[in-house]
Amino acid sequence: MSINKDAYSAFEAIVGAKYISEDPAICEGYRSGPGGYENGLGYERVMTTIPHAVILPRTTEEVQKIVKICNRYNVPYVPYSTGFYGPRTHCHVENELIIDMKRMNDFEMDEKHFSVNVGSGVILSSIQQEALNVGAYSVIGGGGGQCSAIANLIGDGWSPLSHRIGLPHRRILGTELVLPDGEIVKMGSLADGSDDAFWGEGPGPDLRGLLRGFTGLRGCLGIVTKMAIKLLPWQPEPLIPTGIAPNTALALPPKRVKWINYRMPSKREQVKSMFDIAQAEIAAALTKVPLFWRAISKAEDKEEFWDIWLKEDEETIKNFHIVRVLLVGYTSEEDMIYQEKVLNDIMTELGGIELRTKPTDESWIKNADSAGMWLMCGSYVSVDYIIESLTQATVHGETYAELKRKYTPPLMPDFGDPGWFQSFELGHQGYSEFLVYWDHREDTAGVDQFYVETSKMNIKNRYYTSLIGPHQPLFLTGPQYGPNYHEWLLAIKNEFDPLWVSHPPVPLAHDDFVNKAPWMQEMKDWESPEELPMPKWGQLPVPEK
Amino acid sequence: MSVIDLMKKDRYETPKTPVAFEVTDLNNFIYDMQHCIKCKGCYWVEHTYNPGVKFNVRCPSNLWNDFDAYGAMGKMRIGLAIAAGKMEWTDTLLEIIYADPLCGACDVGCKRNLDLEIGLTLEALRIKAVDDGAGPMPAHKKIAQNVAATQNQYGTSESRVKWLTKDITVAEKADVIYYVGCSSAYANPSIAQATAKIFNAAGVSFMLMKDEKCCGNTLYSVGMVKEAKAIALENIAAVKASGAKTLVTSCAECYRTWKVDYPKLLDIATADLGFEVIHLIEFADQAVADGKLKLTKPVDMRFTYHDACGVSRLCDPWTPYKGERGWMGMIFPGLLRRRGRHGLYGQARNVLNAIPGAEFVEMIRMRENAFCCGAGRGTKEAFPELAKFSANHRLDEVKAVGAEVLVSACPRCKDNFGQAAKEDGDNVKVMDISELILASIEI
Repeated sequence: MSINKDAYSAFEAIVGAKYISEDPAICEGYRSGPGGYENGLGYERVMTTIPHAVILPRTTEEVQKIVKICNRYNVPYVPYSTGFYGPRTHCHVENELIIDMKRMNDFEMDEKHFSVNVGSGVILSSIQQEALNVGAYSVIGGGGGQCSAIANLIGDGWSPLSHRIGLPHRRILGTELVLPDGEIVKMGSLADGSDDAFWGEGPGPDLRGLLRGFTGLRGCLGIVTKMAIKLLPWQPEPLIPTGIAPNTALALPPKRVKWINYRMPSKREQVKSMFDIAQAEIAAALTKVPLFWRAISKAEDKEEFWDIWLKEDEETIKNFHIVRVLLVGYTSEEDMIYQEKVLNDIMTELGGIELRTKPTDESWIKNADSAGMWLMCGSYVSVDYIIESLTQATVHGETYAELKRKYTPPLMPDFGDPGWFQSFELGHQGYSEFLVYWDHREDTAGVDQFYVETSKMNIKNRYYTSLIGPHQPLFLTGPQYGPNYHEWLLAIKNEFDPLWVSHPPVPLAHDDFVNKAPWMQEMKDWESPEELPMPKWGQLPVPEK
Repeated sequence: MSVIDLMKKDRYETPKTPVAFEVTDLNNFIYDMQHCIKCKGCYWVEHTYNPGVKFNVRCPSNLWNDFDAYGAMGKMRIGLAIAAGKMEWTDTLLEIIYADPLCGACDVGCKRNLDLEIGLTLEALRIKAVDDGAGPMPAHKKIAQNVAATQNQYGTSESRVKWLTKDITVAEKADVIYYVGCSSAYANPSIAQATAKIFNAAGVSFMLMKDEKCCGNTLYSVGMVKEAKAIALENIAAVKASGAKTLVTSCAECYRTWKVDYPKLLDIATADLGFEVIHLIEFADQAVADGKLKLTKPVDMRFTYHDACGVSRLCDPWTPYKGERGWMGMIFPGLLRRRGRHGLYGQARNVLNAIPGAEFVEMIRMRENAFCCGAGRGTKEAFPELAKFSANHRLDEVKAVGAEVLVSACPRCKDNFGQAAKEDGDNVKVMDISELILASIEI
């Protein structure tokens, strides 16, 4: 079986023969794993396959036509911008079409009003440099500088810079979306037909929830083809790239941009310092990163990382409380001096000890260095991202670390480090991200189980979670959030995509995975329908664990 | 014993598997192919240096053909399928494997974070193609025939020292031997002449090989390792017999072949070749620093410099490695990875900045992030349209920085850029670094 020949011919007529292929070698290049974000796990092995064909549209009109043909001929499709976000952005069913968006790389800068209009193929580090060139800035999301800005912003799109610059959805000023049936919806400022992005909320329909759900619907509700993104004012001094890879960094102008690391006496002071700094409305970033990231940055290679990291133990990690602060003199050198004085006062009062900090930026201003996450073990995924209060975020982290201990091994020994923790929106929110690492050459059933167990932990403790819907079993999480988030999401899915051609079986993919993977059966203690309420697509063979 | 103590113990007791980087066996790179994460560090200019929305890609192949299969991330997945015997060789598959100048941009990009051996894997894929009887491409077979018949890649029977003019002094015996290479000997005699005159101007005595033969760069690059190894043995023996202590090339491809590929083929270290291999850039840098070479004649032009792959990210010395891989993928004993850090980036710029009167402006993508001309390693012969595309793209960058002249350190770059500029009526002049150095010497 394959994609209907008439459908294929119609696709070819849209983009030309050069930009579509069903050659097996071309399609093999779009396999999800075995390496990469969340790859090498059961979900990747059970739920993903290679596409039957790949198509590379150039314009929104081409995307619209492709999607309409998919509906006419019942061809499942998945939009794909950079392919970095692991198995959940790759084909899940047989005879599926990948719509690779990398040629949609139009870019317009509105220098006067500090916004950019971008296509799906434009990546974060390019946008950041263009912004810096005109005295503005945006965010390099935790996914890394190589992420498509559109994919990143409709999913999560945050970084330590979110302390001041705010959450991503606040910076989306307009969106052009091809719905699963091929209709085009323009939201926010783009709705008035011009490219003048000024206000995310209007005058068009505000269907941003359609894009995001909780943290992105992974292509199951259409394809974003254009986005207007707000930039914010930066400072005028240049940041100079220095060094030869892998030891590259931005040299910072010391009177305008400076990272400072502090060691705090305890977790209480760590959180209090973040709260006080935020309350004083200073700093551009305020974060505590996982402590093994420090070891990664010090190590020359994987072997040296382990030499450094295995000198630690639970006691040393428990007693090491770091706060990283990025100061930016946005308006003047005096602004910087003021902020530094306020920071010193806070840290003096709380007993923070300033550590030696390089006058450079290796990560966050222009590069999130996320690829380094795979250095230690070979495999990595963030099992949750949470946005709570500063104090609650750390409590959540401790529970998570305790659960992680139960699954170590196969998880990497991180000695109880709860993960990444930072301030969002001047301390109004506390953000935590829980990261796990393992070697995918080993038995990974425990990692699959841990992933689902984090949801159960959140439900039991009444914690916030970002990962429901496309990331966790919908029938496990949905009834507990919303309430009845699953019913809402499925109703929306059926309304907008009655044929379920847009990236099936998302948002029921994780439910499907649990049903199919024998090693997940022992985890299933929630109610779900005998048959998942979705159309049947080609069944993939289930590999052994 | 705690769980953590158990894991620390695991580090040393987990069963280990052998690790080797011999390119003759694709299976040596299964681990590397399995651990590509699609971060596309192989594709984008390193993000710290990302210049914005223009000129932000470093991979010629994947810019030429947008399907992921043409990028290293796609080739790693395809390579696994080939290694597992799950993929048939087809015209498309051969194009994916061979439409690629193997410029090393992907390799240094990956080693920014992951230390996967992408470059070696791509070489191993070509060797596998040849082993399976599918590769190389017909144009490569023609080169192999030429080399076998005439000892040069062009198949010409002309004298290899036709470039030699009367005003050049060549010694019968010297510590320095100048390996001219096919391209400079036949297609770019001005580079050979300039190089020889630079030796003369610096007062350094040099000799030529008695019967210089092709270095075998293309043969090695397209996977014909048996033929390439035979050439390597013959050429190394000839240099040893000459008594030379230092071999100098003016071609970046020859340089990489002698310095890296020969040791790789023979499973020895670069340091064990028995003589030193340097490029003219290194010679000139040292000669200028020592005061032997005086660059005093003003050259009135605004120029930029293209880091040819063979003298930049591809020229870290080779050291054979055999070890074991264990817990979390760690290898034992430790290995100093070849990350392209030993490229002649600084040496070239020292020389260029010493040229009086000329204004040197950097390209947007430079050093390890440079965008390849697209000609090397069999690409121009088999996929001329890719070579032209790549050259044109780079020439756009030259114009973007406002340079009148593009300088490189490889005759193959000069040929490819020069041809592309001429065909498209560009007014960019293309020069080799040897020619620019010569222009600034009072003779």
